[in-house]
Amino acid sequence: MSTVSIERLRKVYGPFVAVDDLTLTIPSGTVFGLIGPNGAGKTTTFKCMLDLARPTAGTVRYDGVPLQPQAFETIAYVPERSVLYDWMTVAEHIEMQRRTYKAFSPARALELLEEFQIDPKKRARSLSKGMRTATMVALAFAREASLLILDEPTSGLDPINQRSVLNLMINEAARGTTIVFSSHQIGQVERAAERIAIIDRGRIVLEGEVDDLKAGRKIIEGIFPDESWSLDGLDSDRRVARIDRNGRIVRLLSTDAAGDLAARMESLGAVAVRIVDLNLEDIFLYAVSPANETAVVVEETRS
Amino acid sequence: MPIVLTVDPRSGVPIYIQLIEQIKRSVAIGILAAGEQLPTVKQLALDLTINPNTVAKAYRDLERDGVIETSPGRGSFVRANGVADSTKAAASDVARDSIESAVREAKSLGLAREDIRALTEAALDRWFPEER
Repeated sequence: MSTVSIERLRKVYGPFVAVDDLTLTIPSGTVFGLIGPNGAGKTTTFKCMLDLARPTAGTVRYDGVPLQPQAFETIAYVPERSVLYDWMTVAEHIEMQRRTYKAFSPARALELLEEFQIDPKKRARSLSKGMRTATMVALAFAREASLLILDEPTSGLDPINQRSVLNLMINEAARGTTIVFSSHQIGQVERAAERIAIIDRGRIVLEGEVDDLKAGRKIIEGIFPDESWSLDGLDSDRRVARIDRNGRIVRLLSTDAAGDLAARMESLGAVAVRIVDLNLEDIFLYAVSPANETAVVVEETRS
Repeated sequence: MPIVLTVDPRSGVPIYIQLIEQIKRSVAIGILAAGEQLPTVKQLALDLTINPNTVAKAYRDLERDGVIETSPGRGSFVRANGVADSTKAAASDVARDSIESAVREAKSLGLAREDIRALTEAALDRWFPEER
C-alpha cells in the first residue's frame, strides 16, 4: 500500500487559511519530503491526511478510498509536538503501543531506544525535547507500518541521532515503505527524499523529483556590455521561470535546457555567461522568495 | 578491493549522476576491475545515507550503458565482457564534459574560435610531446 492522493485540500481556522487548494500525489514506496517556511501548512496537511483535522474542502484518499479505521494499523505518525504522557515511563508507552497495534515489536522499540541512548525506565516528563522526539521515532519505527508520516522527525536531535533517524528512514524505504516527512533541515531532505513538494502559504509552489529539479533548474548569469540590452523573447520562453536583473547583470532561472538558454543569451550580446548549479536550498529559496524589485517572476505559483 | 564512493548531496549535481560519474571514473582508471561486485542498493544507500531508489536509478543507468550487469539474487558486477569499451566510453564521457565547459567558458570570455584552437593545440602539445 498505498498511494496517497490529496485533492484540492483546504483547511481554514477562523480567518486563517492554513491549507489552500492543495493537490498532491504521494506514490507508494517513495520517500516524500515536504518543505516550507514555518506556518506554511505542513502540519495541517499531515493532520488532514490522518483525519486528525477535518478538511474544510477537498479529499484525501489512500489507493482511491478515504481513510478507513483499520488503516491505522499500518500507518505510523510522529507528530511535531510530543504526545507522550508526562507521568508514564517510556516502557509504559511501549506496553501501550503493544496493546494497541498487532504489528508492534517491543523488542525492536527497545533496540531503537538503546541506539538513541534512552533509558526506558525514565518518565516522559524527564526527557529533553530531542529525547521525546527520538522516543516517538522509536515507537513509530517498531510498528512495521507501510506508511510513515513524520513531522520534523529530527527536531531537537544531535547530529549523530539525526543521522540515525535518516538511516532508519532509508532502511524502511529499502523495504518499500512509503514515507512522508517534513524537515527544516533541507540537507536531510536532499539525502533521504526522492520527491519533494515545497509548500508556502498553504499552497504547493514546486513539486518533483529532487534529481530532476536539480538537473533542470539552473541559474544562467550573463553580463551585458551596457544597460541598453533586450532579452528578445527570452522573457516569454517557458523554460525561463524567473529573471533577476541588476543593471548590466542578468540572471535567468531555467527549468530546462540551460545550455540552449546560455547560448541564446550569448547571441544577444551577453559576455561571461555561466551556468550555475542549484542545490535544494537554492531551489527552495527561489521558490518561496519574491524576486527583487527589478525582477520579473515568470513562473506563477502552480494551481 | 572495496571501492570508496562519496557523494555530496548538497551539490547542485543530482546524486545519481554523481554516482554514475564516480563509478564510470573508477572503471576508467581501473579501480573497479571486470567482474568486481558493487555494494547492494540498500548497502550503498545506508553507507552514503541517501535514498535507495536514487542508488537503484544510478545502477539502472550504468547497466543500460553496459558498465555493470545485475543478476537477480547475486548482485551487480562490473561487466566482464566489453570492459574495454565501457572504459573508453566512460573516459570519453568524463573528458567531453570537461572540454565542453572549458570551451564554453573561453568563448564566453570573448575568445574567438581560432584563439581557443591555439590554446587547445598548446595543451595537446604539452601532454602529447612525442606526437608533435
